[in-house]
Amino acid sequence: MSTGTTIVLNKPLQAHSSILGKFLSALCLGVLLGLFGTFVEIEQGTGFAAIKAGPWTGWPRSEASEIDPYSRAILAYSGKISLSESEAMSFVADRDSDGGKFNSACDYIVTGALPPARFWTLTLLSPEGALIANPADRQGFTSSELLRSSGGQFEIALSRRARPGNWLPLDRASKFILVLRFYDSELSAPAAALDAAHMPVIVRGRCE
Amino acid sequence: MNRIDRILAALLWFLGILAVAGITHIVAIFVLPAVAAKDTFARILALAQPGQAAVLPPARPDTQFMPFADPALVQSVCPFDLSSGSLRVHADVEGDRLLSLSFRTVAGQVFYSMTDLAAQQGKIDVVVLTPAQLEIVEADDDEDDPSQDLRLIAPESKGFVIISALAAHPGEHAEAEERVKSVACEIEQVAQE
Repeated sequence: MSTGTTIVLNKPLQAHSSILGKFLSALCLGVLLGLFGTFVEIEQGTGFAAIKAGPWTGWPRSEASEIDPYSRAILAYSGKISLSESEAMSFVADRDSDGGKFNSACDYIVTGALPPARFWTLTLLSPEGALIANPADRQGFTSSELLRSSGGQFEIALSRRARPGNWLPLDRASKFILVLRFYDSELSAPAAALDAAHMPVIVRGRCE
Repeated sequence: MNRIDRILAALLWFLGILAVAGITHIVAIFVLPAVAAKDTFARILALAQPGQAAVLPPARPDTQFMPFADPALVQSVCPFDLSSGSLRVHADVEGDRLLSLSFRTVAGQVFYSMTDLAAQQGKIDVVVLTPAQLEIVEADDDEDDPSQDLRLIAPESKGFVIISALAAHPGEHAEAEERVKSVACEIEQVAQE
Protein backbone atom coordinates (compact mmCIF):
# COMPACT_ATOMS: atom_id res chain seq x y z
CA MET A 1 0.00 0.00 0.00
CA SER A 2 2.73 2.30 0.90
CA THR A 3 4.50 1.82 -2.41
CA GLY A 4 1.27 2.53 -4.27
CA THR A 5 0.82 5.85 -2.49
CA THR A 6 4.37 6.87 -3.27
CA ILE A 7 3.93 6.21 -6.94
CA VAL A 8 0.70 8.17 -7.06
CA LEU A 9 2.20 11.13 -5.18
CA ASN A 10 5.47 11.12 -7.03
CA LYS A 11 4.17 12.03 -10.44
CA PRO A 12 2.68 15.46 -9.73
CA LEU A 13 5.61 16.25 -7.43
CA GLN A 14 8.07 15.66 -10.24
CA ALA A 15 6.01 17.75 -12.62
CA HIS A 16 5.89 20.54 -10.08
CA SER A 17 9.61 20.55 -9.47
CA SER A 18 10.32 20.61 -13.20
CA ILE A 19 7.97 23.58 -13.65
CA LEU A 20 9.60 25.30 -10.68
CA GLY A 21 13.00 24.57 -12.17
CA LYS A 22 12.00 26.09 -15.47
CA PHE A 23 10.52 29.09 -13.71
CA LEU A 24 13.62 29.69 -11.63
CA SER A 25 15.99 29.20 -14.53
CA ALA A 26 13.95 31.61 -16.65
CA LEU A 27 14.02 34.14 -13.79
CA CYS A 28 17.78 33.87 -13.28
CA LEU A 29 18.64 33.93 -16.96
CA GLY A 30 16.22 36.81 -17.50
CA VAL A 31 17.76 38.92 -14.74
CA LEU A 32 21.27 38.19 -16.05
CA LEU A 33 20.28 39.00 -19.61
CA GLY A 34 18.55 42.21 -18.49
CA LEU A 35 21.55 43.40 -16.51
CA PHE A 36 23.91 42.48 -19.31
CA GLY A 37 21.75 44.37 -21.80
CA THR A 38 21.70 47.40 -19.52
CA PHE A 39 25.47 47.25 -19.14
CA VAL A 40 26.05 47.04 -22.90
CA GLU A 41 23.55 49.82 -23.60
CA ILE A 42 25.16 52.14 -21.07
CA GLU A 43 28.74 51.33 -22.07
CA GLN A 44 28.11 51.82 -25.79
CA GLY A 45 25.07 54.00 -25.99
CA THR A 46 24.62 57.71 -26.11
CA GLY A 47 20.91 57.85 -25.25
CA PHE A 48 18.19 59.43 -27.34
CA ALA A 49 19.09 62.99 -26.45
CA ALA A 50 22.63 63.00 -27.85
CA ILE A 51 23.44 65.44 -30.64
CA LYS A 52 26.10 64.55 -33.19
CA ALA A 53 27.98 67.30 -34.99
CA GLY A 54 31.05 66.13 -36.87
CA PRO A 55 33.35 64.35 -34.40
CA TRP A 56 31.47 65.90 -31.44
CA THR A 57 28.71 64.35 -29.37
CA GLY A 58 26.75 66.61 -27.07
CA TRP A 59 23.99 66.27 -24.52
CA PRO A 60 21.72 69.29 -24.40
CA ARG A 61 21.23 70.54 -20.85
CA SER A 62 22.67 67.33 -19.48
CA GLU A 63 20.94 67.34 -16.15
CA ALA A 64 17.71 69.06 -16.98
CA SER A 65 14.69 67.05 -16.00
CA GLU A 66 13.46 66.67 -19.59
CA ILE A 67 16.30 64.30 -20.39
CA ASP A 68 15.25 60.73 -21.23
CA PRO A 69 15.90 57.95 -18.71
CA TYR A 70 18.45 56.27 -20.97
CA SER A 71 20.61 59.35 -21.29
CA ARG A 72 20.28 60.02 -17.58
CA ALA A 73 21.42 56.50 -16.69
CA ILE A 74 24.33 56.73 -19.12
CA LEU A 75 25.41 60.08 -17.72
CA ALA A 76 25.08 58.85 -14.14
CA TYR A 77 27.03 55.68 -14.81
CA SER A 78 29.82 57.37 -16.70
CA GLY A 79 30.13 60.08 -14.05
CA LYS A 80 29.31 62.68 -16.66
CA ILE A 81 26.73 64.07 -14.27
CA SER A 82 29.56 66.09 -13.00
CA LEU A 83 29.15 69.34 -11.21
CA SER A 84 30.24 71.38 -14.17
CA GLU A 85 28.06 69.82 -16.82
CA SER A 86 24.94 71.87 -16.71
CA GLU A 87 26.84 75.12 -16.23
CA ALA A 88 27.88 74.60 -19.82
CA MET A 89 26.73 72.99 -23.01
CA SER A 90 29.27 70.18 -23.43
CA PHE A 91 30.51 68.19 -26.38
CA VAL A 92 32.82 65.20 -26.25
CA ALA A 93 35.04 63.84 -29.05
CA ASP A 94 36.99 60.58 -28.98
CA ARG A 95 37.87 60.50 -32.68
CA ASP A 96 39.01 62.89 -35.39
CA SER A 97 36.87 64.38 -38.16
CA ASP A 98 37.67 61.43 -40.45
CA GLY A 99 36.34 59.02 -37.86
CA GLY A 100 39.69 57.65 -36.69
CA LYS A 101 39.96 56.92 -32.98
CA PHE A 102 42.35 59.25 -31.11
CA ASN A 103 45.86 57.89 -30.81
CA SER A 104 48.32 59.72 -28.62
CA ALA A 105 51.15 58.77 -31.00
CA CYS A 106 49.65 61.13 -33.60
CA ASP A 107 49.47 64.90 -33.89
CA TYR A 108 46.09 66.60 -34.19
CA ILE A 109 44.95 70.12 -35.03
CA VAL A 110 41.67 71.52 -33.72
CA THR A 111 40.52 74.47 -35.80
CA GLY A 112 37.53 76.01 -37.52
CA ALA A 113 34.21 77.54 -36.63
CA LEU A 114 32.55 77.79 -33.23
CA PRO A 115 28.97 78.54 -32.30
CA PRO A 116 28.52 81.84 -30.48
CA ALA A 117 29.17 81.70 -26.74
CA ARG A 118 30.40 84.12 -24.12
CA PHE A 119 33.21 81.78 -23.12
CA TRP A 120 34.28 78.34 -24.20
CA THR A 121 36.91 75.89 -23.00
CA LEU A 122 38.59 72.90 -24.60
CA THR A 123 39.90 70.26 -22.19
CA LEU A 124 41.90 67.10 -22.71
CA LEU A 125 40.80 64.28 -20.40
CA SER A 126 41.20 60.57 -20.01
CA PRO A 127 38.13 58.57 -21.20
CA GLU A 128 37.19 58.23 -17.50
CA GLY A 129 37.08 62.02 -17.14
CA ALA A 130 40.33 62.55 -15.23
CA LEU A 131 42.92 65.17 -16.06
CA ILE A 132 46.13 63.76 -17.52
CA ALA A 133 49.40 64.86 -15.94
CA ASN A 134 52.03 66.36 -18.24
CA PRO A 135 55.25 68.30 -17.65
CA ALA A 136 53.80 71.48 -19.16
CA ASP A 137 50.87 71.27 -16.72
CA ARG A 138 48.42 72.21 -19.44
CA GLN A 139 45.13 70.37 -19.79
CA GLY A 140 43.11 72.79 -21.84
CA PHE A 141 42.46 76.26 -23.18
CA THR A 142 39.85 78.88 -22.50
CA SER A 143 38.58 81.13 -25.30
CA SER A 144 40.21 84.13 -23.58
CA GLU A 145 43.75 82.80 -23.36
CA LEU A 146 43.92 81.36 -26.86
CA LEU A 147 46.42 82.82 -29.35
CA ARG A 148 44.62 83.77 -32.54
CA SER A 149 45.62 84.93 -36.00
CA SER A 150 44.81 88.49 -37.05
CA GLY A 151 41.60 87.21 -38.64
CA GLY A 152 40.45 85.75 -35.33
CA GLN A 153 41.17 82.18 -36.44
CA PHE A 154 42.64 79.75 -33.96
CA GLU A 155 44.52 76.48 -34.13
CA ILE A 156 45.13 74.18 -31.19
CA ALA A 157 47.86 71.60 -31.73
CA LEU A 158 47.75 68.28 -29.89
CA SER A 159 51.10 66.59 -29.88
CA ARG A 160 53.60 64.77 -27.72
CA ARG A 161 56.25 67.26 -28.82
CA ALA A 162 56.14 70.95 -27.97
CA ARG A 163 54.47 73.08 -30.64
CA PRO A 164 54.53 76.85 -31.08
CA GLY A 165 51.23 78.62 -30.43
CA ASN A 166 48.42 76.77 -28.69
CA TRP A 167 49.91 73.44 -27.69
CA LEU A 168 48.06 70.74 -25.76
CA PRO A 169 50.57 68.08 -24.72
CA LEU A 170 49.56 64.47 -25.31
CA ASP A 171 50.73 62.14 -22.64
CA ARG A 172 52.76 59.16 -23.75
CA ALA A 173 50.76 55.93 -24.09
CA SER A 174 47.47 57.18 -22.72
CA LYS A 175 44.03 57.30 -24.24
CA PHE A 176 42.32 60.64 -24.32
CA ILE A 177 39.14 62.49 -25.22
CA LEU A 178 38.44 66.16 -25.88
CA VAL A 179 35.66 68.06 -24.13
CA LEU A 180 34.41 71.33 -25.58
CA ARG A 181 32.23 73.44 -23.29
CA PHE A 182 30.25 76.55 -24.12
CA TYR A 183 29.39 78.89 -21.27
CA ASP A 184 26.51 81.31 -21.57
CA SER A 185 25.76 80.27 -25.10
CA GLU A 186 22.42 80.32 -26.82
CA LEU A 187 23.03 76.74 -27.85
CA SER A 188 20.81 75.05 -25.33
CA ALA A 189 17.50 75.92 -26.95
CA PRO A 190 17.88 75.11 -30.66
CA ALA A 191 20.62 72.56 -30.06
CA ALA A 192 19.15 70.17 -32.59
CA ALA A 193 19.86 72.70 -35.31
CA LEU A 194 23.57 72.45 -34.65
CA ASP A 195 25.52 71.02 -37.55
CA ALA A 196 29.11 70.00 -38.16
CA ALA A 197 29.87 73.19 -40.12
CA HIS A 198 29.55 75.26 -36.95
CA MET A 199 31.84 73.09 -34.88
CA PRO A 200 35.64 72.85 -34.96
CA VAL A 201 37.23 70.12 -37.05
CA ILE A 202 39.87 67.77 -35.64
CA VAL A 203 42.48 66.95 -38.28
CA ARG A 204 44.99 64.20 -37.78
CA GLY A 205 48.58 65.00 -38.69
CA ARG A 206 51.74 62.95 -38.61
CA CYS A 207 51.92 59.80 -36.47
CA GLU A 208 55.06 58.50 -34.77
CA MET B 1 4.68 14.89 -24.28
CA ASN B 2 4.90 15.01 -28.02
CA ARG B 3 7.27 17.12 -30.01
CA ILE B 4 5.03 20.17 -30.47
CA ASP B 5 4.37 20.31 -26.74
CA ARG B 6 8.08 20.36 -26.07
CA ILE B 7 8.68 23.14 -28.58
CA LEU B 8 5.84 25.20 -27.11
CA ALA B 9 7.16 24.68 -23.59
CA ALA B 10 10.64 25.77 -24.67
CA LEU B 11 9.19 28.79 -26.44
CA LEU B 12 7.22 29.74 -23.35
CA TRP B 13 10.35 29.38 -21.25
CA PHE B 14 12.27 31.56 -23.68
CA LEU B 15 9.56 34.23 -23.68
CA GLY B 16 9.65 34.13 -19.89
CA ILE B 17 13.38 34.88 -19.97
CA LEU B 18 12.83 37.80 -22.35
CA ALA B 19 10.05 39.24 -20.21
CA VAL B 20 12.17 39.06 -17.04
CA ALA B 21 15.15 40.53 -18.95
CA GLY B 22 13.03 43.43 -20.16
CA ILE B 23 11.71 44.22 -16.70
CA THR B 24 15.21 43.99 -15.17
CA HIS B 25 16.59 46.29 -17.85
CA ILE B 26 13.92 48.96 -17.32
CA VAL B 27 14.23 48.85 -13.53
CA ALA B 28 18.04 49.08 -13.74
CA ILE B 29 17.88 52.10 -16.07
CA PHE B 30 15.59 53.96 -13.66
CA VAL B 31 17.36 52.95 -10.43
CA LEU B 32 20.92 53.69 -11.56
CA PRO B 33 20.81 57.53 -11.46
CA ALA B 34 19.31 57.51 -7.94
CA VAL B 35 22.06 55.21 -6.68
CA ALA B 36 24.75 57.35 -8.30
CA ALA B 37 23.18 60.54 -6.92
CA LYS B 38 23.11 59.26 -3.34
CA ASP B 39 26.85 58.87 -3.45
CA THR B 40 27.30 62.38 -4.85
CA PHE B 41 25.14 64.02 -2.18
CA ALA B 42 26.89 62.11 0.63
CA ARG B 43 30.24 63.37 -0.64
CA ILE B 44 28.92 66.93 -0.78
CA LEU B 45 27.66 66.70 2.83
CA ALA B 46 31.11 65.48 3.87
CA LEU B 47 32.51 68.78 2.55
CA ALA B 48 29.96 71.26 3.84
CA GLN B 49 27.07 71.45 6.31
CA PRO B 50 23.67 72.57 4.99
CA GLY B 51 23.65 76.36 4.73
CA GLN B 52 27.42 76.57 4.35
CA ALA B 53 29.44 76.87 1.17
CA ALA B 54 32.68 74.99 0.65
CA VAL B 55 35.09 75.42 -2.23
CA LEU B 56 35.63 72.15 -4.08
CA PRO B 57 39.24 71.01 -4.29
CA PRO B 58 40.67 72.03 -7.67
CA ALA B 59 40.74 69.28 -10.30
CA ARG B 60 44.26 67.89 -10.60
CA PRO B 61 45.53 64.83 -12.49
CA ASP B 62 45.79 62.85 -9.24
CA THR B 63 42.80 64.19 -7.31
CA GLN B 64 39.38 65.19 -8.47
CA PHE B 65 36.10 65.55 -6.67
CA MET B 66 34.06 64.72 -9.76
CA PRO B 67 35.09 63.31 -13.09
CA PHE B 68 34.71 65.49 -16.20
CA ALA B 69 35.29 68.67 -14.23
CA ASP B 70 36.45 71.70 -16.18
CA PRO B 71 39.87 72.72 -14.79
CA ALA B 72 39.17 76.32 -15.80
CA LEU B 73 36.30 76.53 -13.28
CA VAL B 74 36.58 77.19 -9.58
CA GLN B 75 33.48 75.77 -7.94
CA SER B 76 31.89 75.71 -4.54
CA VAL B 77 28.94 73.77 -3.28
CA CYS B 78 26.28 74.81 -0.76
CA PRO B 79 23.96 72.03 0.38
CA PHE B 80 20.61 73.07 1.86
CA ASP B 81 17.88 71.60 3.99
CA LEU B 82 14.79 73.80 3.95
CA SER B 83 13.27 72.16 7.03
CA SER B 84 15.15 74.67 9.20
CA GLY B 85 14.45 77.76 7.08
CA SER B 86 14.79 79.15 3.58
CA LEU B 87 18.12 79.47 1.79
CA ARG B 88 19.38 82.89 0.77
CA VAL B 89 22.09 83.18 -1.87
CA HIS B 90 23.63 86.59 -2.44
CA ALA B 91 26.35 87.53 -4.90
CA ASP B 92 27.89 90.82 -5.96
CA VAL B 93 28.78 90.80 -9.62
CA GLU B 94 31.28 93.02 -11.35
CA GLY B 95 32.93 93.08 -14.74
CA ASP B 96 32.56 90.63 -17.56
CA ARG B 97 33.55 87.55 -15.61
CA LEU B 98 31.55 84.38 -15.67
CA LEU B 99 29.84 83.44 -12.43
CA SER B 100 27.13 80.83 -12.61
CA LEU B 101 24.74 79.39 -10.05
CA SER B 102 22.81 76.16 -10.45
CA PHE B 103 20.16 75.01 -8.01
CA ARG B 104 19.80 71.25 -7.80
CA THR B 105 17.88 68.47 -6.16
CA VAL B 106 19.62 65.74 -4.16
CA ALA B 107 19.75 63.72 -7.38
CA GLY B 108 21.72 66.53 -9.02
CA GLN B 109 18.92 67.62 -11.32
CA VAL B 110 18.95 71.32 -12.01
CA PHE B 111 15.72 73.12 -11.14
CA TYR B 112 17.10 76.58 -11.83
CA SER B 113 20.32 78.01 -13.15
CA MET B 114 21.56 81.50 -13.86
CA THR B 115 24.73 83.36 -14.67
CA ASP B 116 26.01 86.80 -13.69
CA LEU B 117 24.23 88.21 -16.78
CA ALA B 118 20.97 87.86 -14.81
CA ALA B 119 22.18 90.16 -12.03
CA GLN B 120 20.08 93.23 -11.18
CA GLN B 121 22.20 96.33 -10.48
CA GLY B 122 25.27 94.18 -9.93
CA LYS B 123 23.55 91.94 -7.38
CA ILE B 124 22.10 88.46 -7.39
CA ASP B 125 19.63 87.71 -4.59
CA VAL B 126 17.95 84.34 -4.67
CA VAL B 127 15.79 82.79 -1.96
CA VAL B 128 15.03 79.08 -2.17
CA LEU B 129 11.83 78.13 -0.35
CA THR B 130 9.29 75.41 0.16
CA PRO B 131 5.76 76.26 -1.05
CA ALA B 132 4.67 76.76 2.60
CA GLN B 133 7.56 79.16 3.26
CA LEU B 134 6.71 81.11 0.11
CA GLU B 135 3.15 81.68 1.40
CA ILE B 136 4.45 83.05 4.70
CA VAL B 137 6.99 85.31 2.99
CA GLU B 138 4.45 86.61 0.48
CA ALA B 139 1.98 87.40 3.27
CA ASP B 140 4.64 89.65 4.83
CA ASP B 141 5.39 91.49 1.58
CA ASP B 142 5.14 95.26 1.54
CA GLU B 143 3.22 96.21 -1.59
CA ASP B 144 4.81 99.67 -1.82
CA ASP B 145 8.33 98.33 -1.57
CA PRO B 146 8.39 95.02 -3.40
CA SER B 147 11.21 92.65 -2.65
CA GLN B 148 13.98 92.40 -5.22
CA ASP B 149 14.64 88.77 -4.33
CA LEU B 150 14.24 86.05 -6.89
CA ARG B 151 12.12 83.42 -5.14
CA LEU B 152 12.54 79.83 -6.18
CA ILE B 153 10.37 76.96 -5.03
CA ALA B 154 12.49 73.88 -4.44
CA PRO B 155 10.93 70.62 -5.66
CA GLU B 156 12.35 68.85 -2.59
CA SER B 157 13.35 70.20 0.81
CA LYS B 158 16.95 69.08 0.33
CA GLY B 159 19.36 69.88 -2.45
CA PHE B 160 22.44 71.86 -3.21
CA VAL B 161 23.66 74.94 -5.05
CA ILE B 162 26.76 74.88 -7.24
CA ILE B 163 28.58 78.17 -7.60
CA SER B 164 31.11 78.34 -10.43
CA ALA B 165 33.52 81.03 -11.54
CA LEU B 166 35.59 80.82 -14.70
CA ALA B 167 39.28 81.59 -14.55
CA ALA B 168 39.66 82.87 -18.10
CA HIS B 169 43.46 82.83 -17.78
CA PRO B 170 45.58 80.37 -15.79
CA GLY B 171 46.76 83.20 -13.51
CA GLU B 172 43.20 84.05 -12.50
CA HIS B 173 42.48 80.99 -10.39
CA ALA B 174 43.03 82.78 -7.09
CA GLU B 175 40.82 85.65 -8.19
CA ALA B 176 38.11 83.21 -9.35
CA GLU B 177 38.29 81.48 -5.98
CA GLU B 178 37.76 84.84 -4.26
CA ARG B 179 34.69 85.47 -6.40
CA VAL B 180 33.28 82.05 -5.53
CA LYS B 181 33.98 82.58 -1.83
CA SER B 182 32.31 85.99 -1.86
CA VAL B 183 28.96 84.38 -2.72
CA ALA B 184 26.98 84.22 0.52
CA CYS B 185 24.81 81.20 1.14
CA GLU B 186 22.87 80.95 4.40
CA ILE B 187 19.75 79.53 5.98
CA GLU B 188 17.24 82.23 6.91
CA GLN B 189 14.50 81.78 9.49
CA VAL B 190 11.03 82.21 8.05
CA ALA B 191 8.74 83.91 10.57
CA GLN B 192 6.09 81.42 11.62
CA GLU B 193 2.54 82.66 11.89
